[in-house]
Amino acid sequence: MTEANNEKMIEKELSFGPVHPALIEPYRIRLFVNDEIVEDCEININMAYRGMEKLFDGLPVEKALLIAERVCGICSHVHAWNAVRVIECGLGIEVPPRADYIRVLVQEFQRITSHLIFFGHAFEVVGHETLAMRALLLREQFMDLMQYVGGNRVMPSVPIIGGIRPRADLTDSLKKTILERCDAFEAKYAQYVQRILDDPLVISRVNGIGLLTKEDAIKYHATGPTGRASGWRYDLRTEMKEYKPFDFNVIVLDGCDTKDRVVDRALEVLESLKIIHQVVKNLPDGPVVNRNWVAKEMPFTTAYLETYRGEVMHTYGLDHQGLVRNYQIRTPTITNLAAMEHACVGDHVTEAILTIASCDPCLTCCTRTEVVDSGKRRTMTDYEIVRKYGWRK
Amino acid sequence: MTLKSTSRKKAIHVMLCYTGGCNGCDIEVVNALLSPRYDLEQYGVMLTWNPREADVLIVSGVVSWQMLEPLKKIYSLIPEPKAVVAVGACACNGNVYKNLVGDIKVNEDVYAPVESVIPVDVKVPGCAPRPEEIIQGAVKGLPKLMGAP
Amino acid sequence: MDATILFLAQLIVSSVIALAIATLYSLVLPGIERKIQARIQQRVGPPILMPGFWSVIKFMYKARTEPIAQMPRFYKFLIGFGVGVVSLLFLFNTPYWWFMLGWGSILGIAGMLKLEEVIYVFMGSQSQSIMSTSMPVPDTVRGSKWPNIRREFNEQHSAERSLKMMLIGSLPLYLALLVPFIVAQSVNIGSVVVTQNPAYSPFNSWLSFSLPTSPILFTVPGFIAAIVYFLGFVVMLNEKPFTILKAKIDMIEGGVLEYAANLRAGYYLMRNLLMFALSSIFVTLFLGIPFDPFMPAMFLMNMVLSLMLPIALSVLVAFSPIFTFRQIYPTAIGLSALGVLAMILALSI
Repeated sequence: MTEANNEKMIEKELSFGPVHPALIEPYRIRLFVNDEIVEDCEININMAYRGMEKLFDGLPVEKALLIAERVCGICSHVHAWNAVRVIECGLGIEVPPRADYIRVLVQEFQRITSHLIFFGHAFEVVGHETLAMRALLLREQFMDLMQYVGGNRVMPSVPIIGGIRPRADLTDSLKKTILERCDAFEAKYAQYVQRILDDPLVISRVNGIGLLTKEDAIKYHATGPTGRASGWRYDLRTEMKEYKPFDFNVIVLDGCDTKDRVVDRALEVLESLKIIHQVVKNLPDGPVVNRNWVAKEMPFTTAYLETYRGEVMHTYGLDHQGLVRNYQIRTPTITNLAAMEHACVGDHVTEAILTIASCDPCLTCCTRTEVVDSGKRRTMTDYEIVRKYGWRK
Repeated sequence: MTLKSTSRKKAIHVMLCYTGGCNGCDIEVVNALLSPRYDLEQYGVMLTWNPREADVLIVSGVVSWQMLEPLKKIYSLIPEPKAVVAVGACACNGNVYKNLVGDIKVNEDVYAPVESVIPVDVKVPGCAPRPEEIIQGAVKGLPKLMGAP
Repeated sequence: MDATILFLAQLIVSSVIALAIATLYSLVLPGIERKIQARIQQRVGPPILMPGFWSVIKFMYKARTEPIAQMPRFYKFLIGFGVGVVSLLFLFNTPYWWFMLGWGSILGIAGMLKLEEVIYVFMGSQSQSIMSTSMPVPDTVRGSKWPNIRREFNEQHSAERSLKMMLIGSLPLYLALLVPFIVAQSVNIGSVVVTQNPAYSPFNSWLSFSLPTSPILFTVPGFIAAIVYFLGFVVMLNEKPFTILKAKIDMIEGGVLEYAANLRAGYYLMRNLLMFALSSIFVTLFLGIPFDPFMPAMFLMNMVLSLMLPIALSVLVAFSPIFTFRQIYPTAIGLSALGVLAMILALSI
């Protein structure tokens, strides 16, 4: 592979970002191009590094969970929920079923808003402003619902340890509102998707570019819709106990190109709507929070969750005082990045940026500490260091 | 009302510089500027991505050390008169990232508030601020633009 | 001798009046364009005067700044040059210039259009904006698979793209431009107008008004040519879908990135005037209604009809994505073929 690379001639390098209309988030794309054709791509992601993990260290666990929600503004609920799941698994805290239902509800709300912001961004990159604006207009309905349920459009802060915040409990009038809004949304949304698929100009832009084969998707572990659009059936929701009561399909397409990555997300929104209907209709009665728990020493525990972009991992331990130690987060974008770099090779410059956008990168989530593993030398993660040497060296 | 101040009131070009927060404010700003529901364009505010064209710089998020130089540079390239709007609690005071309430000392990986890097004229607090508040903030920068020589 | 002086005086006065009206009118066009787009996008949209008129005045009042360019003075000169070229392009279309040294002909128009295109190549190769390579970010510190590669500014890439667009993208416009001249069997705009509008003469009384009897637009080749002309117009203005050389998502704005303050006002003037000039040329050539500054009825008619192209443009812009060269090459070739077809059909009229 290296020999072939050395023979390849590269004419020039184009670099975009970190402040750029196609990226919005701070990261930098370096494209190595011949004329218009991208030969190689590098993505530099460290611009949003804030030292999050260190912030968690030594905080009481309730405080730490508030920070966990601020890891990302698009998938705030995911991080809050998964952080809570870690301690619930580790200390064996019972969660009332009603709380689980409402957590799933907010998760699916936010999945819809996240996918719609993806459409807004992707069509902005395609250059089709009207479709982007329609997506943002449709998204507003779910932002409203989030505000009704959680009290904030972006940071609903619904999960707490042992359940959900009592203020996020669903009342009967709220249930009615949700069902009405969802029905109205579904009709409009179906039209919108049909409109995209019928537009020959848009389809000619997205069809057949950014190829990511199934083997590559598995090799780079492209999780979430990015991997599923390459024919890889991998969805953690099918294995999670929170999602057991609900009936939904995992959307798997095998087109492997940018079009399928868009269509996959478009169809997932419909599945989310199905789940929302089931949640509201079958919502069990009972308490929403279980407060019978004490923070005590907890070994490292890991929780995985299927987010809107793929699989997220949170892991931390509690020391003898009940303070958080060595918080670690691995977000889906970190594995998708390699897939993006691979997928955009061979296309035009404009299309390469579209390919990167179509993998739905969320760089603020993913700018975490890294483990360097080059085969010869491997730096240890904090996790391993603590496992080996204990809390204090 | 001279022609100068009228023209500055009627046409405002806004540039968004997102320096490393959590994405929430950023998307709310784009929402306020682009989404048909809020549509800042009806008040004569246009979104641009070119510092040479901009009047108002919206900064959202704490400033990470890699974004420090780009932010300063972009600010210096905007021709006078200019105004800076800091959107979100992170840009106003550092919020959780600065670790103001944490047990260990303040986080030195980030520069916050934005005021410590470039002069800020309007602050829009909130985590994340609602689009209405962002519109209000963008309009609050007007007197500075209009009154400038 | 007296006749020559009188003619020169008329030429100068008509040019000044025509330019003043055209500049003011062209500042309304982007607002109309933007408003229509906004309505299609289900929002209120900006006030009509804002994107054109108020923006230009605002940029005039901004503090002058030095652009970052390889040759700043040349880069600044390009704006003045561009405004001059576009003004001449528009003026060649007005009646008194039809008698000046053969400039009021296909040659004058095509030449000026070509110059206008070349300006983008120069702008792109000059501008060195902060927004791409020179952004002060530590991006090479970690090394790269490809060290020591020439790092190019976005604008330079945009200049390469504009060369490609000059080569193939703008061909349809010139082919479509030729059609009215083939029908009139002359290279002069005057003959084209007289063929369609026999009653019109620049020396008629100032209140006179003559409608065209046989507009080329309503013939088969004329209609085909008009469609090709419209898409060529979109290419010339670098609007969606042919906005590849200043595509917002990779080139941001292309070569004009570094223009600030009064230079940006100049750029806005140039672009808006080009939009009006091309629409006005369309009405003159395809409908036979020239922009005669001394005949209010004629130039008002011309101005109203020339709204056609910007309105069609805004609808097209709202419904189309950006084309890459994968789509532009076939489109341009197809349009050129249509243009040639129109020319062949025109020969038979």
